[in-house]
Amino acid sequence: MELNWRAISEDEPGPKWAGLFHEYWPDYHRWWAREGPEARPGFLDSHKALRAHMPELLPLYDQLCELAGGTDHAARFLSFYCPPPYLSSCSQAIWPGAEPVLVRNYDYSPKAFDSLTLRTNWQGRAVMGTSDGLWGLVDGINDAGLAVSLTFGGRRVVGDGFGVPLILRYVLQTCETAAEAGRVLARVPTHMSYNVTVVDAQRKFLTALMAPDRKTTITHQAVATNHQERVEWASHARFTATVERERYLLQRLTLHVDPEEKFINAFLRPPLYSSRFDEGFGTLYTAVYRPQRLQMEMCWPRARWPLNLHDFHEDTRVIYTPEGSPSAAE
Amino acid sequence: MSAELKNISEIRRHFHRNEDPIYFISATNFNLLGLDEWCKNFKFISYIDCYGGKHPNTFVPSEQPHAEFQSIEDINNYLLQHKEVIDLIKRRGGKPKFVFLMFDAETERLSKELGADVWFPKAKLRQKMDNKIETVRIGNKAGVPSVPNTLSVVENYEHLKEICDKAGLGHDLVLQSAYGDSGHTTFFIKSEADFRRHEHEIVGEGEIKIMKRIDCRGSAIEACATKEGTIVGPLMTELVGFKELTPYRGGWCGNEIFATAFPPKVRQKARELTFKFGEQLRKEGYRGYFELDFLIDKKTGDIWLGELNPRITGCSSMTNHAAFAHADAPLFLFHLLEFSKKKFKLDVDELNSRWADPKMIDSWSQMVIKHTEDTVDIATAVPETGIYRMRDDGSIDFNRFDYHRRAVGSENEAFFLRILQPGDYRYEGADIGILVTRGRSMTNGFKLNERGKRWIHGIKKGVHGRPMPTAEAGPALADPAFKIM
Repeated sequence: MELNWRAISEDEPGPKWAGLFHEYWPDYHRWWAREGPEARPGFLDSHKALRAHMPELLPLYDQLCELAGGTDHAARFLSFYCPPPYLSSCSQAIWPGAEPVLVRNYDYSPKAFDSLTLRTNWQGRAVMGTSDGLWGLVDGINDAGLAVSLTFGGRRVVGDGFGVPLILRYVLQTCETAAEAGRVLARVPTHMSYNVTVVDAQRKFLTALMAPDRKTTITHQAVATNHQERVEWASHARFTATVERERYLLQRLTLHVDPEEKFINAFLRPPLYSSRFDEGFGTLYTAVYRPQRLQMEMCWPRARWPLNLHDFHEDTRVIYTPEGSPSAAE
Repeated sequence: MSAELKNISEIRRHFHRNEDPIYFISATNFNLLGLDEWCKNFKFISYIDCYGGKHPNTFVPSEQPHAEFQSIEDINNYLLQHKEVIDLIKRRGGKPKFVFLMFDAETERLSKELGADVWFPKAKLRQKMDNKIETVRIGNKAGVPSVPNTLSVVENYEHLKEICDKAGLGHDLVLQSAYGDSGHTTFFIKSEADFRRHEHEIVGEGEIKIMKRIDCRGSAIEACATKEGTIVGPLMTELVGFKELTPYRGGWCGNEIFATAFPPKVRQKARELTFKFGEQLRKEGYRGYFELDFLIDKKTGDIWLGELNPRITGCSSMTNHAAFAHADAPLFLFHLLEFSKKKFKLDVDELNSRWADPKMIDSWSQMVIKHTEDTVDIATAVPETGIYRMRDDGSIDFNRFDYHRRAVGSENEAFFLRILQPGDYRYEGADIGILVTRGRSMTNGFKLNERGKRWIHGIKKGVHGRPMPTAEAGPALADPAFKIM
């Protein structure tokens, strides 16, 4: 499949963001309303939830709703409050070398992916990362050098809380250190289970094991795949090989002192790299975050795309994902 | 049947006529290899069939969908819920007795459901004993000293240095977290870079045992705490961290047993300390089989307690196959005896002094061969279990199928137990198999000897794999396809 990947920068919410919204909205709307709009919380509750848990974002949220056309459905969608459940796969780890580096694979369906790297300077804070749901992020970095990334936590339970991409956006808009991010992640409710790894410019790191039905655990894990402390959803775990990927990454951290390039390249081949694109769990990209340099780099088996927070160039790439190729996990 | 067993001969006879169905349930039967020939009605229930269906007392149920195993306990809990396993146990009848390498509270629950007794102290007690910090405490009580150490939570490298300065340990350190096998939770830390590598296993993991690093040899000794006293096996050498065998620096990768493995004074001392430790374990409520690692200072010969494994271990097959085991009985038989509730009398002192006699020990070595390269593929061929022969030119070939390690005739033969099965992933750290030879595999200087290297090479040469498919995602060096604005 052909993915038209874009890197877009806009300092303040404006015409570019509005253009993106209108382009993606029909698909998102269909997805968001697939169980009927009444299955999702109303605008008042959504707004109230945002005010209770992420008050700093409210002015920005109001601005975006305005740009999105101000409809009820768009505003409820943009609140990320109790969205329909969704799953992904993913692996992430912090390089144990001299400089802090966070590397992650994003394993998901190419059909339901925005293929968008977004750089913003909203509320005076520069942030860039992989966009999801127009203002959420599945990974990203801010101008304080705080980098953050998520993996699905491998549990089926769904509860009252926010879609995790907005929680990542909130962390990057309001925090500068891993410790601050840890406090936010421990506090904000999530609607499904996710493992969020953060690392700051001082190389302080943590992984928050977030869940809607139990207290968030802040761990010192340097690796996260698709389970929390124990595998709880056996078939998902088996299908995504989460235990093998975790074991493999832990070995990479402790057995070798891999040079940075070797560490990154490990993400571009099995068992971390997944070619199950047909089944919704193919590796769509590998992202590398370098908190001290305020850089991110998108990597594929045969391509690299470096991006710099303070020297960001809008650009595009076409990425071909190999559907129908033999499964890497067989 | 209720009469008291009065001597070794009666104990042996008792087990040769045993009617209780006893099962060793584990990933493989390696640890208790051969025990079925000492104890009637003793069966192995394994997850991996190392024998291709040819071992008469090993039962391997057909593979069913299961959760990813995160531990040996998970494997056991899967086996205990497998219909074919349950059918086998029901069909054979009697009140089943289970022994395990590893088990947890869930294993205990499943065993109870099946009406079986677990012939080991409770998982909770074992878990407590297995804690490195608890081991130090028990050792101190028993008069078995540990390497100079301190126990502390560690926040970061600076903090670690502060702790060590206060405790006078220097900065060349060995750290261990509370649980885990050597090689997985033992970290050698001399610099900040070393610390970073293991940071995620140290920070936030609670109390850490911080030891001064000493120049020592590892050794292992197994024993069994019975109501008549602690029976002590011989002191074995440890093969540690050989890059031909394991990717884990400092990781256990085999053992040797031979009469003169350490100077007589050291051997005697180790036996005494093990006895004392066993007697203390009994006071703490633990009984049965256990293993101690001793660290022996290369220069002074000082002997320090390293680790306690309150269970059978990877070297149990060494202890239970040495000449003394064949002359009297394998050590594990006394474990079964202890848990059988059978009344018995035993002169433990007499047995211990007999087992201390160098004549009672013949020379064997075992090597656990792992995939040591940083590659991942799928195994297509792996040397099968059996007896291999080394030719004069050092090459080896398969001679015959056998599941008895004592069938190894000479130093030119070896028994190989296949663990990696064709179709399995071959990844760095994956077990390929275990090779047992007569004689030594290390030099007097504790390096792998030539013969050992040839055996490893010979086995590894027989392992083949097919590469994993790599996808061709990307790229795209494309002209800018479009811009939306």
